[in-house]
Amino acid sequence: MPRVFITGLGFITSIGNDAVSVTQSLRELRHGLELYPPFQTPEIPVKVAAPVRGFNTASTDAEDWTFPAGISIKRELLRGMSPHVVYAWCAMQQAIADAKLGEADVSNDATGLYAASGGSPYLMGHMLERMHKLGVMRCSPLGIVASISGAVQFNLVAHFKIKGSSCGFASACASSSHALGFAYDDLVLGRQKRMFVVGAEDGNMDAILPFAGMRALSLSTDPATASRPFDTGRDGFVGTGGGVVLVLETEDEVLRRGVTPYCEVMGWGQSSDGHNVAISHPEGLGLRAAMTNALRSTGTAPEAIDYINAHATSTPIGDASEARALRAIFQPSGARPAISSTKALTGHGLSLAGAMESGFCALAVRDGFMPGSAHINQLDPECEGLNIIRTTLSQQPKFALNNVSGFGGANVSIVFKQAR
Amino acid sequence: MPDAVPPNPGSAKPFLATPKPFAPEDEASLREALKRCSPSAFESAVQYRKTGNPEHVPAVVIGIIERFVEPDLRIKLKDADDDLRLIEDLGIDSLTMMEIVILVEDVLQMSINNDELRNLRTVGDVKMFIDCKIRGLALPKPTKFLPIEQIAAVMPIQPPFLFLNEASVSSSGANGKYKISGQELFLQGHFKNNPVMPASIMLEALGQLAVLYLLEGATPEPGKVISSSMIYFTGCEGVRAHRVCRPGDILTLSIKPKRMKMPLATFEGAIRVGQEKAAIAEEITLTFGYAEAVVPPPAPPAAEVNGTAPTKPTTPSATPLRAAASA
Repeated sequence: MPRVFITGLGFITSIGNDAVSVTQSLRELRHGLELYPPFQTPEIPVKVAAPVRGFNTASTDAEDWTFPAGISIKRELLRGMSPHVVYAWCAMQQAIADAKLGEADVSNDATGLYAASGGSPYLMGHMLERMHKLGVMRCSPLGIVASISGAVQFNLVAHFKIKGSSCGFASACASSSHALGFAYDDLVLGRQKRMFVVGAEDGNMDAILPFAGMRALSLSTDPATASRPFDTGRDGFVGTGGGVVLVLETEDEVLRRGVTPYCEVMGWGQSSDGHNVAISHPEGLGLRAAMTNALRSTGTAPEAIDYINAHATSTPIGDASEARALRAIFQPSGARPAISSTKALTGHGLSLAGAMESGFCALAVRDGFMPGSAHINQLDPECEGLNIIRTTLSQQPKFALNNVSGFGGANVSIVFKQAR
Repeated sequence: MPDAVPPNPGSAKPFLATPKPFAPEDEASLREALKRCSPSAFESAVQYRKTGNPEHVPAVVIGIIERFVEPDLRIKLKDADDDLRLIEDLGIDSLTMMEIVILVEDVLQMSINNDELRNLRTVGDVKMFIDCKIRGLALPKPTKFLPIEQIAAVMPIQPPFLFLNEASVSSSGANGKYKISGQELFLQGHFKNNPVMPASIMLEALGQLAVLYLLEGATPEPGKVISSSMIYFTGCEGVRAHRVCRPGDILTLSIKPKRMKMPLATFEGAIRVGQEKAAIAEEITLTFGYAEAVVPPPAPPAAEVNGTAPTKPTTPSATPLRAAASA
């Protein structure tokens, strides 16, 4: 079976707009949360979010947007974009440069792109409002393309002239891990030689606040502790956005191009709770099955796993459910992998989460560290027996595992391994 | 809608000739809508919205087109002639065209239908189109493609004297094709053992294309319809034949209206075979009248032009050529 490697990464995240600053934030446990200005009104009980920095996409008119120095996007491209597409577009350019890909490497029959995002509720809302107010023929002609959940791959596939497989994944917070998993499958099955995996979210008011209705968001007013997965005082997640791109390539391509990969993607597993539309199974049965499948399909023993980037979003039910799943998988063999949730630093990126945290795993495996699980004051007793690391460890994990869980009880686990 | 503009069946409903009072908040929203356009486009839009005077519209339209054109191509619009093409010259794709339309609709308070857009290929088309909309005039007719069946259905001339196989007609002219089959009766005698398409027949074919234009492409006065039984040849000038045309040749014919004032319509015409010039006519003049059902036709035209007055035939079967072309 062909082996698959990660050869390039691009990050636009709340903790950094490139791999170097993201690595530094992860090592030093610097969070990206703030009192988000749009939330600071009396009617909004949620105060903290983790926006990406350096981009101003507040206007509904994309031509008003401003970007960090060095980034400029032609109007012709911009008109089909929403904020998350801009983030993904920037991350894509980083990833292509990072993987040292030329134009011909990006645009050919054997290179595809799988993506995930929740679309742009913000631009969709604006467009619908315009439609109701001014009539159906006054909507921006590219309003749909810019705002529905496929926006990110529509734009990237067209602008980067992708010729291979492309599609989007919609399993909410599991989406971009599904994208990565199926991209891996396409490479292993010989359908493609190279795949871009993209996760992106607007992470603005309209993307985050609808979660307040289900009481999923933290009401904390302290950015330093609002996101605290596995802590007894956790009270919901903190929203974030951004764009992350991973380049996956077959071993043949890695050798042909002579590039040094971050790590190997060993394989993946998925499973569904079959339980509730929005609530994790209390015993974490679905996530447990996903991890079991990932370990079995990659031939990895639980005790081989050194580091787990947990899904834990800082919600009371979700974190406990994952803790039970982790105990069930690792305690029988006495394995004590280091576990952390980097969502304490980044906030929860929804569709972006799987790609972002897989990218973090790739950095950790290559650079030899395991980021700590920040902001834990009092560890939830549900985590008893689990090695939840509160500070960053300077040890190189040989095997790392990333978990995600999405609405409808979709769970994905992916196994990464040191290259070579 | 209280307006003075006559109803216009050819387009969407015409809009206000007397504009609504132009409020300060309208000016603010206009400024916002045109914030990326030139100040003169904004000023013209304000003037148009205040006065309803269509003379201000071209500056608004050009200003809006300019805003959507890539900066390095905008120079072309500075001294824009109306033949500047939207796609080929200005790089405007169909989606950008929609953006332009939406802004024009917003700023000029009009509505434009999708099917009205398909025929807008040049800056001139766009200006003409919007001018017609604003004045409540009938819109220029889109290019129509007519196969032989449709040509025969509308033409007063019929086989075996119809020398068009297919044609396309727009408001700016008509193009057609005729393949010399070799079966034409007159080729048996023109010439002996040497079939050559008579130049007079080639001129006839151009005249027939002009007839088709009058029936399918011309824009008569509102409420009038040109009668197919009242079109006759009156004269031609500057006819030259450049190439001998024989069976197997495909004649590519084109005519363009030069002048049209009831009851006369003057065209220029040309025939090519492939890339070779076959014949030209600097002027072909036809006379026409309006159908009685719609409006009584004016008195038959005096036969002043070229002194070749048509004798009114009793059957409307042909447009006989009286003047012989110099072969």
